[in-house]
Amino acid sequence: MNAPRRIMAIAAVEWARLLRTRIALTLLVVVPLLQIVLFGTAIRPDAAVAVAVAAPTSTDAENVAKTLRKQRNILVVAQGEPGSAEAAVKHGNAVIGIEVPEARSFANPLAKGGPLRIVVDESNAALSSAATARIETAYWRTLAERSDAAGPGLRTERLYNPASRSDWSFLPGLIGVTVMIAMIMLGSLSLAREREGGTWEALLILPAARWEVLLGKLLPYIVIGTVQGLAVMAVGIWLFELPLPQGAAALAALLPLFCAAHLVLGYAIAARAQTQLAALQGAVAFYLPSMLLSGFLYPFATLPRWAQALGEVFPLTHFIRAATGVLLRGKGWSIVLEQALPIAAFAAAGILIATLFQSRSTG
Amino acid sequence: MPEPVVDVRGLAKTYDGREVVRQVTICARPGDLLGLVGANGGGKTTTLRMLAGLVTPDAGAGFVLGRAVRSGGLDRRRIGYMNQRLALYPELTVTENLRFHARMHGLPAKAVGDALERFGLGEVASRRFTHLSGGWARRAQFAASVIHAPDLLLLDEPTAGLDVVTRLALWDWMTQIAATGSAVIVSTHDLTEAELLPQIMLYHDGLAGAQTTPAALIAEAGAPTLEAAVLAEARR
Repeated sequence: MNAPRRIMAIAAVEWARLLRTRIALTLLVVVPLLQIVLFGTAIRPDAAVAVAVAAPTSTDAENVAKTLRKQRNILVVAQGEPGSAEAAVKHGNAVIGIEVPEARSFANPLAKGGPLRIVVDESNAALSSAATARIETAYWRTLAERSDAAGPGLRTERLYNPASRSDWSFLPGLIGVTVMIAMIMLGSLSLAREREGGTWEALLILPAARWEVLLGKLLPYIVIGTVQGLAVMAVGIWLFELPLPQGAAALAALLPLFCAAHLVLGYAIAARAQTQLAALQGAVAFYLPSMLLSGFLYPFATLPRWAQALGEVFPLTHFIRAATGVLLRGKGWSIVLEQALPIAAFAAAGILIATLFQSRSTG
Repeated sequence: MPEPVVDVRGLAKTYDGREVVRQVTICARPGDLLGLVGANGGGKTTTLRMLAGLVTPDAGAGFVLGRAVRSGGLDRRRIGYMNQRLALYPELTVTENLRFHARMHGLPAKAVGDALERFGLGEVASRRFTHLSGGWARRAQFAASVIHAPDLLLLDEPTAGLDVVTRLALWDWMTQIAATGSAVIVSTHDLTEAELLPQIMLYHDGLAGAQTTPAALIAEAGAPTLEAAVLAEARR
């Protein structure tokens, strides 16, 4: 008879603990809220794809653009002279470029001559494949409506990932995600564990400057993270037949900075958190939006502007751009240096925040 | 008379609006062995952490090893600090932990062997810290705290929960270290142990009394023991 009473007493205590524990409330309220906001408003994998059109005359270009605008999720971002659409794709300003050759147009496909070219940035197959298919369908439909099934033909050129392999599109981001999760977890948990165990306080009393302690703590993890990133890259090359990139050294050089950025963030989280569990929670609260808004799970271009602005803050966003540039687009130091700057800025901010939190906790 | 190692007046610290320590005035010279005595939560640990430079006092003035106590820049090369928890790296062996402390203080490798021998740690030297019993762990932690022969040694409840042999050994080492010219400040809530100290300060609810001797406190209270004197003081 006393069992229900005991069960209720235990439940009452558990309920009180739940309400008084900030971590539990964060797990129950903040994380689901974050997921609802991100999945509900930011994540739109079928959003518009940027298309550039190039034709010999502006009338031809406008006719093609008019047809494309009738298609779902196609956004014509540029119209220009022959060659400009392919250039827009290669410069990253458009995902798909349509090159209408001399004396031909999408509006008049019965004219004789070479095929109409669709140039696709296939480095993000998830974004480009559906849109390419819609454009190809629109082309053949136009032919059918003009009662000439033969037509002049259509040639789709898939750049960077000719076979449209989804694993290739995924691998550059996977390197970043693997390293990011490991570094945030290791950074936050190692410091939280030291604080819980008392060794952090014992360390602070030793004659070393804060920056020396920080650097000493970071170095082994930076080595581990870099090796981990290189290992994932090697697996991509050997198992998934990713071409060996010329800029591999540049990407390898970016890895230590990428690791450091997440480690200092982990330290900032741990400096604020009271326990290892709280640090873990903080780490999850960071890397979840980072994965969603960086372009890893969903194409960056499909995110609304506010989510893109937020996504620009995450180092993962910039690492994925650099890794995609190096591994799929054959770029080198230029893309890596360009993307290293925001990662370095993030790391610097992380150091400041970690120092501030640490000062408060001891002060 | 030598210059004080610690000379602070009116130290205070507030956490979340609660004044955990107030009016702490300490003067400790080389060779002094001073006990901060009182119940748990009385402010002893916060006092030690302020003297170690781990927290900055909100009020008060004075110097620790010649540097302003509120400057945030105490000379940590000359301070030894042992906190209440068994705070050495659990994954490392005793030797590795001592080697780390020696390296941080710029000491030669020989210092590790000396410490192992001095504190009788030879038989557990290659054992991981996490595998040590409480007594051995405390000895190792003590050895790490004093490996650099600090001028000021701060010990937070070093003998709490220890067997009598280890407790006596620790008190013996503390006395020896003070005799070599270091100032030793140690917190304890054990009044039997405190009665053996040459100088003590009584803590009660964050408020520290003046430095005195156990005999003077006992005489002032007209009590038979320090325990009875402290109880009488607490009831007042």
